[in-house]
Parts: sequence; C-alpha cells; structure tokens
Amino acid sequence: MAGPLAPSWTPETTVEERDDLDRPWVTVVWNDPVNLMTYVTFVLQELFGYDEPTATTLMLQVHHEGRAIVSSGPRERMEHDTSRLHAYGLWASYQRDS
Amino acid sequence: MKPFRAARGGDVVARMEPAEVGIVSLLLDQLEQLLDADADDVGGDPVMARLLPDGHRGDPELAADYRELTEASLRSGKADDLAIVRATLPPTGGEIRLDGDQAAAWLRTSNDLRLALGTRLEISEDTEPPEEITGEEDQQLAVYYWLTALQGSLVDALVAGRSGRS
Repeated sequence: MAGPLAPSWTPETTVEERDDLDRPWVTVVWNDPVNLMTYVTFVLQELFGYDEPTATTLMLQVHHEGRAIVSSGPRERMEHDTSRLHAYGLWASYQRDS
Repeated sequence: MKPFRAARGGDVVARMEPAEVGIVSLLLDQLEQLLDADADDVGGDPVMARLLPDGHRGDPELAADYRELTEASLRSGKADDLAIVRATLPPTGGEIRLDGDQAAAWLRTSNDLRLALGTRLEISEDTEPPEEITGEEDQQLAVYYWLTALQGSLVDALVAGRSGRS
C-alpha cells in the first residue's frame, strides 16, 4: 500500500530477515480447524506487514502442511511475535530454527 | 443478522436481532467467567489451553518463561476487548457501528468465542453445520456457525475497507 492514506504502522519483522544466521529463532503458526483462512491471512498482514500474496502463501502453507514459519529473529522478538499472534488466537509458538 | 460491511469513513456496520444480541451477551459472560476463573479450577481445561497456549513446544522451561512474560498482558488484552464488544453491542438489537480499534476488538473476541466453542464441540476440518436442530449440541453447533459467518463478514468488511484506502 502506498499514498497518503497508507497505514502508519511499520512491520516489526519482515520475511527478508529469514536468512540471517545470527538470528536462529523462528515463530511458527500451526494449523487448527477453527481459525478461518481469511482471518489468518488478515492477521498475518496486520501483524507483520506482509502483502496479500505473501500472507496468503503462508496461510496456505499452514493449511496444507500443518505449519509455516511466519517470522525469524532473536529469541525475545520471537516471544513477542508469538504473543501478538496469541492475542489474535492464532496457534503459534517459537523455537530455534532447525 | 445483517452481516458486517464496510461503511464510509472506515467504519464497519452490521445489524443484530435482539435474540442474537442475547446469545452474544451470554457467550461473553461465559468467556469472562472462564478467563476470571481460578487457575486451579480451569488448569486442565482444553479451552484455556487453546485461549492461552504454550509459547514453546517441547521445552517446559521455555514455555513457563513465556507464560510468565506474556500471560498477564494476554489476559488483560482479552478483558479489554471483551469490554469493548459489550459496550458496542446494542442492548435491544439494531445497528452495530465500529471504528478500526473496536473492529479489531470484535475480531479477536469473536475468534476467542469460536475457539472456545469449537474446542468444546471438538470441531474438526470435516465438521459441517447441522442440517436440523435436534439437541443441545446441534444448537451449539448452529451458534458456532453463526459466529463463523459473523466473523467472516467482519474480516471481509475490513479487507474491503483496507483496499478502499490504498
């Protein structure tokens, strides 16, 4: 989104940071039978600033593969990301990247 | 119910019948009781485990750290959201008009209600809406699917409002 009416928030975590070797923690969203697909996509956009295609890809990965990594970074920030997802009722956890 | 739709000025609008308001109020009361309950009473409750999940799987120490760090603010966030939903619910039915922050509270609380009900009813991806209501479980399942429609319309309205702004 761009233009004067674009949201003023800044994404706290972005997908580009995924390959950083100094940051070996990840936040994972797990599949569950209750959360709506549209809702999961919406929340990933809201919380991480992903564009719609990226958020949809992650949502579909959760749906079909049972889980998807939605952010990566230092442990403290993954705890924070997990709690932001929990506030929206997504089934999330953080772990060391494998 | 008239589902949520995007309105001018970034608001979202829906309408509810008095009976529907009654059902939502009852569910809000039950959710509040559950969140306010003693940990000893609801410790093993699968609904609580779903509303306040472990932050780490497989490492109890990390999971305990996470809980200590985040649970209080998760709980107070849920309580704040619940209060906003209550305050914006028309007592005798009618229009519900929400700004962005109120809509976010509705989104999270309606999701918590669906998570709580869905966990109780052991919803799976194969569960389908009841064709006819013959018992209490069918009634609860019907409420679950009603909440699903409500929340789905709210997500769609917010997405429509967002693309309208970009």
